[in-house]
Amino acid sequence: MINLVRAEFLKVRTTQVWFWLLLAALALSALLVIAPLASGDISTERDAAQMFANASTAYIIVFVLGVLGVTTEFRYQTITASVLTTPSRWALVTAKMIAFALLGVAYAAACVILQLAIGLPWLATKHLGVSPASPDMPRALLAVFAILALFGIVGLGVGALLRNQIVAVVLGVLFLAALQNIVLAIPVVRYAWPYLPGGSTASISAIDRSTDNFGGVHLLPVWGGVGVLLLWAFVPAVIGAVYSMNRDIT
Amino acid sequence: MTSAPGLAAGGRISVDRLTKVFSRRIRAVDDLTFSVEPGSVTGFLGPNGAGKTTTLRCILGLVHPTSGRATIGGVEYRAIPDPLRAVGAALESSGFHPARTGRNHLRVVCRAAGLPDRRADEVLSVVGLTDAARRKVRGYSLGMRQRLALATALLGDPRVLVLDEPANGLDPDGIRWLRGFFRYLADQGRTVLISSHQLGEVQETADRVVILHRGRLVRAGSISELTAGTDTVTVRSPQAAAFASALTAQRVQVQQVDPGTLVLRGVPTDRVGHLAFVHGIELHELSRRRADLEDLFFALTEQAATAPVQAGAPR
Repeated sequence: MINLVRAEFLKVRTTQVWFWLLLAALALSALLVIAPLASGDISTERDAAQMFANASTAYIIVFVLGVLGVTTEFRYQTITASVLTTPSRWALVTAKMIAFALLGVAYAAACVILQLAIGLPWLATKHLGVSPASPDMPRALLAVFAILALFGIVGLGVGALLRNQIVAVVLGVLFLAALQNIVLAIPVVRYAWPYLPGGSTASISAIDRSTDNFGGVHLLPVWGGVGVLLLWAFVPAVIGAVYSMNRDIT
Repeated sequence: MTSAPGLAAGGRISVDRLTKVFSRRIRAVDDLTFSVEPGSVTGFLGPNGAGKTTTLRCILGLVHPTSGRATIGGVEYRAIPDPLRAVGAALESSGFHPARTGRNHLRVVCRAAGLPDRRADEVLSVVGLTDAARRKVRGYSLGMRQRLALATALLGDPRVLVLDEPANGLDPDGIRWLRGFFRYLADQGRTVLISSHQLGEVQETADRVVILHRGRLVRAGSISELTAGTDTVTVRSPQAAAFASALTAQRVQVQQVDPGTLVLRGVPTDRVGHLAFVHGIELHELSRRRADLEDLFFALTEQAATAPVQAGAPR
């Protein structure tokens, strides 16, 4: 299994997609620190912690990385070589899940380090002495790691289900970035929002859990958010493995 | 490439009553049985859509047979513990990521199979791709991709090689090299199964052939067995019609292809010459033509196509 996970890392490392997506994730993370600090929205330590927790928005990029991790194999038919080397498709899927969860963690580390490097000195100039050990900060940073690790797997699952690269990326991003948030605007239906990927992510990363921030919808407790996100990660991956990966490869 | 470790039960490929029905009831492979012996190069022939690739995919565990089974050394591919060290495969559709270099493609496979990166460099040099190893596959010609696919198949130093149209896209030099290479591998006791539609190529390369048509086995055996008794004699004469009736009277099988030309079967040239002399026939040509695989192939597949109901009836 270690060999398989290492092979998955090498697959990612030997093409350039990871680099461009990492740049995108870093740019997004930087923006999420620079914009609120420049506009003066950050006045308390709690605001600062929330700002750092918002690096988890990079989940969309890690999701795309995961989708590409599966769909590229179908697009270029490298899946044939992968399955010939590893006839057990469960082993292949498991290795991919481990590898992409770890890639999510690596992206999280890069995003968090960049945010802290920009944000902490800047906060100091505003006389807010925030450090990674300040109240709410460990939770905020941990949330980023957990969310990005899980979204690597969510991407894999969606990729395995849809198999078509363009369809999976476009539908996935459209849903995550736009459609799921429309739900918040619809009466009654909005109470389902915490069970969507965006809502469960917010349940994990929200420092101020007041319902005012979420259109009157109650967030799940943190562990509930983690549980729902785990379902989003593993249910598509398992269905994808059973349905899609077990089909004839022609 | 000196040792051929691998399967305890030997490198015999055995296909036993294999049937694959795709959706919409397309019978890609229909009750197919044949075997491929170690130490030989076996050509797997058939027109496009005959079911060759589906059969190879069943052998490699990529496609689930509807019924029947395919084994290598007595074991199904999926049950081989370290498959790359036992079986090397290059399929037409096995792809490469265009942005990955040839060497990195091989390293990924090495990593997954627990082989050292050194193997990637070794097989690159075997197939003559060392100079292009660090270039992206995007810039490879078809022939170079074929060589890379072959290199992938060789990574685990397998006892059994299954190759789909390996000569496609190779230049004449490459084809000649490939021919020698297959011979070399077979002489080491390995099992080499190559599918092809380039029949002349297979005749040069293979010891045995398995001919497939519409998913069914048409014929299997050595090339000399299969072409035996199918030589023809061509006669050109201004008195062709008269000679034809004289030959028919001698129970020679005659086919008049044009007013001045006859094609005879199952008769040696000296007898034809003698009969011409006896009957006072003027000859402009008397030549023997060895049947080749191509003739045999068309004869067999046409029979199979036009007279499926009379299969087994004397012809």
